[in-house]
Amino acid sequence: MSTCNDCTYFFPVPENAGDFEPGKGDCVSEKEDAKGKYWLSRPTTNASISCPTYNKSK
Amino acid sequence: MATVAESVNYKGKVINFPLANQQENEVADDMLHENLARPTTERTKRLKARCRWKHASAGEFIDSEVRAGIERMRFITEAHKASEGQPEVIRRALGLANILNKSTLVLQQDEFIIGYHAEDPEMFPLYPELSYMAVQDYLMSDYSPQPKEEAEAINQYWKRFSMQSKGEGYFSKEDLTRMYQVSTMEAPGFATGYNSITPPYETILQDGLLKRIEMAKAKIEHAQKEMEKIPWNATEGLEWISKIDVWKAMIIADEAVINWAQRHARLAKIIAESFETDPARREELLEIADISHRVPAEPCKGLKDAFQAKWYTYLLCHAIDRYASGYAHKEDELLEPYYNISVEQKTFQPMTYTDVVEMVEMERLKISEHGAGKSRAYREIFPGSNDLFILTVGGTKPGYVDACSDMTDAILEGARNIRTTEPSIVFRWHPSGRVKTKQHVFECIRDGLGYPSIKHDIIGTEQMKYYSQFSKNKNGVTDDEAHYWALVLCMSPGVCGRRKTQKTRSEGGGSIFPAKMMEIVLADGFDWSYSAMQLGPHTGEPTEFKTFEQLWEAFRTQYAYAVSTVIRAKDVCRYFEGKYLQMPFVSSIDDGAMELGRDAVELSEQPNGWHNPITTIVAANSMVAIKKLIYDEKKYTMQQLVTALRANWEGHEAMRLDFQNAPKWGNDDDYADSIIKDFYEDIIGGEMAKITNYSGGPVKPVGQAVGLYMEIGSRTGPTPDGRFGGDAGDDGGISPYMGTDKKGPTAVLRSVAKVQKNQKANLLNQRLSVPIMRSIHGFSIWKSYMDAWEQLNIDHVQFNVVSTAEMKAAQQEPEKHQDLIVRVSGFSARFVDIPTYGQNTIIARNEQAFGANDLEYLNTQL
Repeated sequence: MSTCNDCTYFFPVPENAGDFEPGKGDCVSEKEDAKGKYWLSRPTTNASISCPTYNKSK
Repeated sequence: MATVAESVNYKGKVINFPLANQQENEVADDMLHENLARPTTERTKRLKARCRWKHASAGEFIDSEVRAGIERMRFITEAHKASEGQPEVIRRALGLANILNKSTLVLQQDEFIIGYHAEDPEMFPLYPELSYMAVQDYLMSDYSPQPKEEAEAINQYWKRFSMQSKGEGYFSKEDLTRMYQVSTMEAPGFATGYNSITPPYETILQDGLLKRIEMAKAKIEHAQKEMEKIPWNATEGLEWISKIDVWKAMIIADEAVINWAQRHARLAKIIAESFETDPARREELLEIADISHRVPAEPCKGLKDAFQAKWYTYLLCHAIDRYASGYAHKEDELLEPYYNISVEQKTFQPMTYTDVVEMVEMERLKISEHGAGKSRAYREIFPGSNDLFILTVGGTKPGYVDACSDMTDAILEGARNIRTTEPSIVFRWHPSGRVKTKQHVFECIRDGLGYPSIKHDIIGTEQMKYYSQFSKNKNGVTDDEAHYWALVLCMSPGVCGRRKTQKTRSEGGGSIFPAKMMEIVLADGFDWSYSAMQLGPHTGEPTEFKTFEQLWEAFRTQYAYAVSTVIRAKDVCRYFEGKYLQMPFVSSIDDGAMELGRDAVELSEQPNGWHNPITTIVAANSMVAIKKLIYDEKKYTMQQLVTALRANWEGHEAMRLDFQNAPKWGNDDDYADSIIKDFYEDIIGGEMAKITNYSGGPVKPVGQAVGLYMEIGSRTGPTPDGRFGGDAGDDGGISPYMGTDKKGPTAVLRSVAKVQKNQKANLLNQRLSVPIMRSIHGFSIWKSYMDAWEQLNIDHVQFNVVSTAEMKAAQQEPEKHQDLIVRVSGFSARFVDIPTYGQNTIIARNEQAFGANDLEYLNTQL
């Protein structure tokens, strides 16, 4: 089963960040609607089961 | 072709009024506002074109994409359940931390100032811990948070913990039912969740949060040493427990805020490195990332830092920790030191003046996208706008030295260029204010923005000093600090700065409605036209009032009951806020809370009690008409009046015209004005000033209207001023009733100037002639009007400069008039987003021209 760890939208939280926890990352996705483009960042972990926006990293 | 004002014979000369901008001769009157926007850069032009306004009309959001998010209510609930058993103030900090740690961040294309308060740019958060009734309203609407079942469970969970449940228990069912009618009294804050705050932005910008955390840690260390002293003294030692909890809560909150800002920094960096293809924007995103990595953790080093740190603080204080309306700060003085670093000295984040204007425009567009999870009633009373957002500029520093600066000018220029309904601006007018800045103020008003509204600098400053004497801890503002004030919402001054600011709405804000009181005074306290219930005390059958004084005293009784009840509701709410709705983040940035180890909601250092009488002039004009036609001239009896009113004047038109044609406020008429002056000073202000509120000071009236003059008008039956039942009330705190000020603008000033005693503030709404304001003499005439206003010691004035032709054209083809802005009352609105009922009240206001008599009174130099 794929996890966030394998997704191109998963960005691990750096070790020197205040909210660092092992395995924790930011899920950053690009959105666009009639009013323009925007990006969302959700906290997640590398072991989380992938979501519908999963995009396998190369 | 544009209309040009007719010539005037003045001081032996014929004065013509050619337009200041000759090119405007070719612009049709009914399309003027669509030709006035000029965004400073292509970026702000794009941002405005795609702005995600969240305007409401008649309580409904205009954009169908706008809706409530679930994240905030989900995360605060999760934390509340997990923290059971811990001190309440710690639970509040953990709640905020959970929201900040887990919430989705948003960053939009083209933005420089970043940060949002919900998980999608079309959403806004809800606050079940405040009022379950307000959340329930959303659950029943198209804007419900999803999944709805989860939101319903959350709301059910909070019902027993909410402010509403706690507050309601201390009022009789009778009083609650009366308040929930929102017709003589506003509903209590514990039921509406409506709130106001003046955040102490200064500490964030000057200190940064890392320093505040160190301060709290030092306080805890000191407290622990005090507790360990031998021999133990419980009378002193136990007091440290609650203080330690408050300081610990501050640390939890501040660390979470720093992490949240640095999550934004990471997001900007990730977009730059993994998504953005434009090299210039990529570089800008890295600069954004650098800023959010440093602030608000560290002190601001330049103007870009200051704009960003201020925005984060705004989101926290007004939307994430709690909901609060307003945008209270003295923006020009707050930002001026950073302006000097970046623009004058260019030592950090070097910028030009034009760059600053662009920043101002971008900040205004951030506010324009800011959605508020207000209850339906509060969406109804701000039609054509998102919410109340009001910032303050101008005024004086200690010694009444002019406080205007180039930062002031940039704020005003940005506002004029970008043309947004919000945020509104207040300009503090003082004779020492520089003319250059007053010209910018004029240009905003002339271009029809409806702002800045103008406040009398000396009245506001002396008011801060007056309230200081009632400080419960003898630490009210000093004479110097009294100069540093901004409007908390649309009308009332409140101190700004590192401490002593207003933290919650119990201190000031909330409404009572004299027009409706007038109606029920004529029915022994019974509301026959709307709620069909006894809405106030029994004050006697009006037909048995043998003298005018009996009517006067009956009104006083109704008013005194209403005002005491609503202010009691505010203070009961404050009591519970201090115990269950603490704000550890706000406490951490308030020097007083930090020093004393007390939560900022509970602590009061500077009293600032006020309450808003709305629709006073309908009641006052009614008093005048009754005195003249019934008690003086004896043309009619009270029985005849009551009969005619119960019929909504139907079959009594001649009588109604007599009452309508009785002397009215705003015409410098001594008969009317002497009664109305007493009405304001003896009853409206006099009765309110007898009250002592939570902070230990008196409460004084701040007469204004917002959109409540429409809502209350629609719930108020016919009144003895000749008004039909359901017609709107008066649109200001002391404005003449629409269309009844017939003696010119200076007669209005002379009437208003007569009311001086027992007032805190009173909103004066005036509509000025477009051709005169846009003529070559516009500034000279307006400046002489303002100088006279200042000398007459009038507290406030605000203006519409918009033609009837343009408003009527917009009613016909709204899609062509998206940039038509009008002043409603205390806020500006997009005209086409206001319901027709409200639009018509603005069209009905007299467009004041300046005749020779006015110019002579003003001694205008032309």
